[in-house]
Amino acid sequence: MRNTMKVAKWEIKRNLKNKSYIIGLFLTPIIFLAIFLIGSWVGGDSDDQLVTMQVLVHDQIGVYDVLEQTAAQSGIPWEMEQTDASEADVSSLLEGSENTAYLFIDERLINDGLVPVYTSDEMPPYFMSQLQVLTAPLQVVQLERFGVGEEERELIASGIRFDEQKVGEMIGEETEAGSGDLESMLRRVVPGVFAGIIMLSIVFTGMAIFTSASQEKKDKIAEIILSSVSPTELMQGKIIGYFVLGLIQVAVFIAFLLPITLWKMDFPILQYLLVPELLLFVAISIIGYLMFAAIFAGIGATMADMTTAGTFQSMALMLPFLPFFFIGPVISNPSGIVAQVTTYVPFTAPGVLLIRLTMLEQWPWTEIIISLAVLVISAWVFMKLAGKIFKVGILMYGKNATPKEIWKWIRS
Amino acid sequence: MFQHQLECGARGCTCIVSRMTITKELRSMEIVLTVNNLGKSFKDKTVLSNISFEVRKGEIMAILGPNGAGKSTTIRNIMGIMYPDAGSITFHGSPSGEIPKHKIGYLPEERGMYKNVKVMDILLYLAELKDYPLNKARERALAYLNKFGLEGKDKATIEELSKGMGQKVQFIASIIHEPELLILDEPFSGLDPVSQELFKDEIRQLAKQGTAILLSSHQMNLVEEMADRLFMIHRGQKVIYGKMDDVKRQYANFKCTIRGANDRSLLEKLPDVERVEQNDDVITVYLTKDVHPSQWLKHLPENLNIEELSLDRISLHEIFIDIATDRNLLLEAGEVHA
Repeated sequence: MRNTMKVAKWEIKRNLKNKSYIIGLFLTPIIFLAIFLIGSWVGGDSDDQLVTMQVLVHDQIGVYDVLEQTAAQSGIPWEMEQTDASEADVSSLLEGSENTAYLFIDERLINDGLVPVYTSDEMPPYFMSQLQVLTAPLQVVQLERFGVGEEERELIASGIRFDEQKVGEMIGEETEAGSGDLESMLRRVVPGVFAGIIMLSIVFTGMAIFTSASQEKKDKIAEIILSSVSPTELMQGKIIGYFVLGLIQVAVFIAFLLPITLWKMDFPILQYLLVPELLLFVAISIIGYLMFAAIFAGIGATMADMTTAGTFQSMALMLPFLPFFFIGPVISNPSGIVAQVTTYVPFTAPGVLLIRLTMLEQWPWTEIIISLAVLVISAWVFMKLAGKIFKVGILMYGKNATPKEIWKWIRS
Repeated sequence: MFQHQLECGARGCTCIVSRMTITKELRSMEIVLTVNNLGKSFKDKTVLSNISFEVRKGEIMAILGPNGAGKSTTIRNIMGIMYPDAGSITFHGSPSGEIPKHKIGYLPEERGMYKNVKVMDILLYLAELKDYPLNKARERALAYLNKFGLEGKDKATIEELSKGMGQKVQFIASIIHEPELLILDEPFSGLDPVSQELFKDEIRQLAKQGTAILLSSHQMNLVEEMADRLFMIHRGQKVIYGKMDDVKRQYANFKCTIRGANDRSLLEKLPDVERVEQNDDVITVYLTKDVHPSQWLKHLPENLNIEELSLDRISLHEIFIDIATDRNLLLEAGEVHA
């Protein structure tokens, strides 16, 4: 174990002194932040760019106050005023003006459901959409005139909403309501997203094991190292070293993102992050990493050079991204057959399990336990297999190992 | 009485060619490494068979053989990089079977280092892997870098150094932790003559200080100069094993080289002649074993045209070539006639 830790320490130190790693370490969160902030600024600009319009209301049925209140509550930047101008005067009044509209609310609303609107030539295209916010209060007036009672008017004005309920999720939900639902969701989503970031970071960094193993072969240093440590110690040292490098990447990511997130989102992220559920999410990520890292180390040792990766090696590199193929069906139905099956497949289990646990209100503990068992056993088996491949492959210079050769090493 | 045996390793021949009493000096040498009946096969091909030798404290022991003879495989088995199918390897006679890697220095045949890492960082890492104190390692690294003309290169990366400089760094890496046993696989390949001398001096110095050295090389002249004992391997089997002087005495018969316009038949008829080779006006007469050179010279015909004449033992290089081309083995079997 001492030798393993020495190798791990070396891998960490070597990478932390490597300019390209350092650049990548800070560049990734900076790019992420830049995208986030640019998006936010662009979004903010579009709000600012909403043109303030002058909306003049000729009200003959006494609804102006309600309309003004509705517009204000909707956040629409209108300057509303009442006017006595007649429809005949409107064309002359609007001449030469811009971003101005006249609404005529009279008996035609009651009888025909009609509100004449006169606008200046220069009007933003979204004005007619904005006007839709006035539909509900105007309908209430209309219904009042038809003699519909207050309770019925409110019910009609509130519109129809569709409430989806799933039978499986109804059990035990009676006690949760209102803000409790949101809190429960956040307790899953925040740690889930965090664990996703951890897994992606350490898996991405772990992919460097692939490069590291093949580079040591290319640099012909492997034999010198193996004169001091065993192949297993070398492989384990790399796995641990790159795991720590992945965590460093996560720490840098958090150091950049957390303050910005807290500032921009006005959301108690830590409260929802530091929950017991986080332990399970992180455990899934780490076991998943160990499995993929073992595969990367083993396959990396079969290659003469990164640039000569064959189909077999390239496919192995793609394994951590396999869950993305199933992301659609899993999200649309986290308890469906695709989600369940991929929970038990070692290569898809970490990703799918994280998505499912983030989405499901009621966790399927039996499936979780089976999936974790599959993951732990797979990680152990792949460590053993990778050890066998690594031992022979790391000393094979000049050519890539064929799947047949790899199979022979595994069987030996 | 303990005796050192110089054995003939020819296929099918088990006779002891010569038996000599070991010198006091050799007897006092402590055995550091013992390789006993080592065997290794890849698929159905036997690459090592019954390989046995010892390396003693303070001696330079050479392991020689043509390409593919099994030298590197033997070394990799000693280093624990490969595992033998048969036999044993012991360090100081310890029966535990575990070779203490931190006591061994190794310069593999395949030259390489981390390309984009600073020289000092690499040396310290390799010293740390050998459990050697880092402050001492730093001091020794700087001293050796100076000794090998690499002063101020401790902060350079390997890719900034020439190939020869890189080899020097690799050599330093193999000895930085003061190993008891130093295994050098082709240490002189690719070196210029000045660097070769530097390496030779350092290897001799290390042996004088008590390091047991196992040296594999194709460069016979260098081996001949440096090695105390040698083990010659061919097709995974022992061919010659013994002290350098004894081997030369046993295998390096005298040869007489004559330059002048002569007919080779004149010389072929002379007594104690094993074979005669002619190249234009240079004739080389290979003499049989145990011939007395001064006595043999008296047999030279009076009418022989002699512009130049030299008499010396055949070199290790020639012995090596003979073995590599199976000449000696065929001679033993009576298939080649002198």
